[in-house]
Amino acid sequence: MNYEIVLWLLILIPAISGLICVLAPSPKVALGMMCTCVFSTALLGFSAIGAVLLHGKILFAAANWLFMDALSAYNLFVMIIVFCLSSIYACVYFQQELLHNNLTLKQIRQFTSLWCGAMAAMTVVLISNNLGIMWVGIEATTLITAFLICIHVSRESLEAMWKYILICSVGVAFAFMGTLLAAASAKSVGLGSHNALLWTTLRDNAASLNPVFIKAAFIFLLVGYGTKAGLAPMHSWLPDAHSQAPAPVSAIFSGFMLNAALYCIMRYVPIVETATGHTGWGLKFLVGFGIFSIIVAAAFITFQKDLKRLLAYHSIEHLGIIALGFGLGGLGTFAALFHTFNHSLCKTLSFFAAGRLGQIFGGSHDMEKMSGSLPVSPVWSIGIFCSILALIGIAPFALFMSEFQLVKAAVDSHAWVVLSLFLLGAGLVFVGALGHAIPLVWGTNHESRKPVKANFFEAFLVFAPLAVLLVLGLWMPKPLFTALNSAASIIGIASSVTSSGVGP
Amino acid sequence: MQITSFINILLGLLLAPLLLGIINKTKASFAGRTGQPLLQAYYDIIKQLQKGAVYSKTTSWIFRAGPVVGFSAILVALAIVPMGGVAAPLAFSGDLLLLAYILGTMRFFTVIAALDTGSSFEGMGASREVLYSALAEPAFLIGLAAVARVTGIMSLSPMLSAAHFFSPEVVLVVVALMVVYLCENARIPFDDPNTHLELTMIHEVMVLDHSGPDFALILYSSALKLWVLGLVIVGLIFPTPPGSFWLVPVFTAICGLILLAVIVGIIESTMARLRLIRIPQLLVAAGSLSAFAFILVLR
Amino acid sequence: MDSPIEIMMILLVLSDMALLGLSRLRTCISIVSFQGMLLGGLALVTQFGSLTPRLIMIAAASFVIKGFVFPYLLKRGIREAGTLHESEPFIGYITSVLAGVAMLGISLWLGARLPLFAAGSGNYLVVPAALTTLFTGLFLIIARRNALNQCLGYIIMENGIYTFGIFSVVEIPLLVELGILLDVFVAVFVMGIAIYHINREFDHLDSHRLNVLKG
Repeated sequence: MNYEIVLWLLILIPAISGLICVLAPSPKVALGMMCTCVFSTALLGFSAIGAVLLHGKILFAAANWLFMDALSAYNLFVMIIVFCLSSIYACVYFQQELLHNNLTLKQIRQFTSLWCGAMAAMTVVLISNNLGIMWVGIEATTLITAFLICIHVSRESLEAMWKYILICSVGVAFAFMGTLLAAASAKSVGLGSHNALLWTTLRDNAASLNPVFIKAAFIFLLVGYGTKAGLAPMHSWLPDAHSQAPAPVSAIFSGFMLNAALYCIMRYVPIVETATGHTGWGLKFLVGFGIFSIIVAAAFITFQKDLKRLLAYHSIEHLGIIALGFGLGGLGTFAALFHTFNHSLCKTLSFFAAGRLGQIFGGSHDMEKMSGSLPVSPVWSIGIFCSILALIGIAPFALFMSEFQLVKAAVDSHAWVVLSLFLLGAGLVFVGALGHAIPLVWGTNHESRKPVKANFFEAFLVFAPLAVLLVLGLWMPKPLFTALNSAASIIGIASSVTSSGVGP
Repeated sequence: MQITSFINILLGLLLAPLLLGIINKTKASFAGRTGQPLLQAYYDIIKQLQKGAVYSKTTSWIFRAGPVVGFSAILVALAIVPMGGVAAPLAFSGDLLLLAYILGTMRFFTVIAALDTGSSFEGMGASREVLYSALAEPAFLIGLAAVARVTGIMSLSPMLSAAHFFSPEVVLVVVALMVVYLCENARIPFDDPNTHLELTMIHEVMVLDHSGPDFALILYSSALKLWVLGLVIVGLIFPTPPGSFWLVPVFTAICGLILLAVIVGIIESTMARLRLIRIPQLLVAAGSLSAFAFILVLR
Repeated sequence: MDSPIEIMMILLVLSDMALLGLSRLRTCISIVSFQGMLLGGLALVTQFGSLTPRLIMIAAASFVIKGFVFPYLLKRGIREAGTLHESEPFIGYITSVLAGVAMLGISLWLGARLPLFAAGSGNYLVVPAALTTLFTGLFLIIARRNALNQCLGYIIMENGIYTFGIFSVVEIPLLVELGILLDVFVAVFVMGIAIYHINREFDHLDSHRLNVLKG
């Protein structure tokens, strides 16, 4: 199978579908085209991922500008799962809105074309070898998703969109400065200019890069891409954007876009590490940002009133955990990568539930108004409760397993301060979120609402991710294990995990 | 000390009030009028000298001392600043600081003479004047310091001859010094010399109560201040080719001063006076230009 | 006479100082378009010995986009919004100018640590000027209330990064360069649309008053 064409198609199919969706004659057609696009890209993606992860190949295309190795493949896998689930959910969610005439054809067209465009942009980020194109992809995701936030134009959504555009564009501009500095460090070594931005070239020549430039580059990159990833203190756009966007959009934000930004940082980590002589100089900053995010998120979670903002702060906390894992290295990298998948799956589920519950309860996400939702919609309230349980790290969900591995990594590297801060943050989140979740499901229902039946798709959307999370928490399948290991080894710090050491 | 430096001082004493006339003539021609005769400043000074002075009962010796000290200060300044490549009679290393402080002394005595009258108008003008000069002084000093650093000389006379106008630092300093020039001499856009509204006066209001010979001294001192500060700017702009006959650079300097007066006239005719809260912003901008030039020079 | 690059860098820093000190939006937009044109020319001057059609095309594209298209979009935003002046900014103009001088000092110090060129050549001002422009843009985004001013701050940041890019990576591949230019263009376009919506919905462009979402 010619994987060059596959890589090209992975980008072109969503891009072209995005353009076609603008001309859709009716909402059903638009949604249908969107789903077709997502699923066909998913099929292609799975074939490429299978080749890379299962057979150990590395795919190149377009004169080495596109490529896919294990790290890309793994992240692509996460992205495809998130997008597929979210597309199904978007159909369910918007069906309700169309029933109540809340949505015009123009808005649906806008949504579907931007959705496909966002998918194309994120694919570009994941499979580009050229760091400049990777940057272009991230900036493109910012601009495309900005309009996804204010599908329903209102004061709050405009405010959220403006903050999002400004803060993320500034952050991505910083990241561009970092990219230029990285290229400048390559120039001083004498690499050809058309090569200086290719990741594979930089990685191969990492030992001879100018350390001063690379260090400056990494700082700019961490701040820049960290803004896009929602690491504190650059996170202020995140709660607003996630709470104001429609639920499917929030799902892909938390489910994948934040991970994409962190992926970009991950691409630079092995280069920085080799260039600075493996002293862990760059990893310290990652740990610092990660811990700070966890603490800030924990502090804000306790007094949230809005369900989606609560989930947004959870995202900040989990991105902090992932950054912390990457910073710790070794088993931490493995755990962080595993956590990426778990968090994405769980967070999409929780946003699905939050969105549907919000719709059922008349459009607001105020947790006071949504209390006592179990009798009203059993499926979704179980969904939200179990997903919040999973998010705060209760066993036997998979998130507990990845966080446990992280703790083990911290203990292994004797990072006691980090460990205690992490446990403190996790504990605060546990108490705070549970305090919000229990009344949400079992509280007194202030207004009596008729129970809403959920159809097959909704039940599938809730129970399938929960089942996967449960299974993964108890048993790690061998393919996943090898995939994680090969992805972790690309980040350059050899993972020292055996398959038997993963269990509880 | 050459004879030529004394001739320069004499030229300054003679020709300074002409600058006032040139400025007024330029403004008049812009407005389409014939305007005052060129020598009007001389007539005004002579007229005031022939009048008697009136002193208020509330004033003390400070009021009488103000114009005299100001005049003597500017005479000393005239003896420090070089013209046309000829060294000044009293030149020494570090005299650019003395120049700044002489201007400060002048200003100080004008201000306390104004405060001495006990009138609120003078007090208002005094407080404004002190604010703006406090902001203008760093621009002046840092600018001159930058030029001193570039040429490596701390004395005005050799420094002005050695500065190359076509380097960016000197251009920046000249622009900053031009702004300071307008501020120190109470020209638009800082102060309107023709205003009759006390609320908008700065310099005019401080000398409101002086009359007779005192006022003549004040008029003459302001003309000399125009001359002296103008020499600093003109000295930076026009280079002195080494080894030329004395008359040529001096003639160039005088023409430069006349050109400077015309430019001031043009600025006065085309711009309006700035709102009072904008004046500190302009002065800080001039100061930052000087600071920028200094930073450039430090590299 | 110093090298033309040094003169251009000084003009760039002077334009940054001017942007920090001015309140009139139209003047600020004109200065930013001047910066854009300056940088378009800079791209040509650095490669004076080896001009290629590709280089001329990129320089012309950035010249046109930064010098004419952006100001047009922003001036249209002003017309829609009806604002002419920046309302009371968070950090006053005098403090802004002084902060600009401080940023220049810091950039010079940082520039000494990032030796992009051999010491003593005429290009020592490049990295400090680029960093100053970057910080000026960031400062404007933080310190100004008007959403248009914040958009200007973003363009200025991109100008600073572009200056750095011209010198550090001499020959970014054409596709990347165009992609970057397109991104910046679309970003400004998107911001313009956002500003239009904000003005229509809120009736003002004061981003300080966009404070409904809290906590």
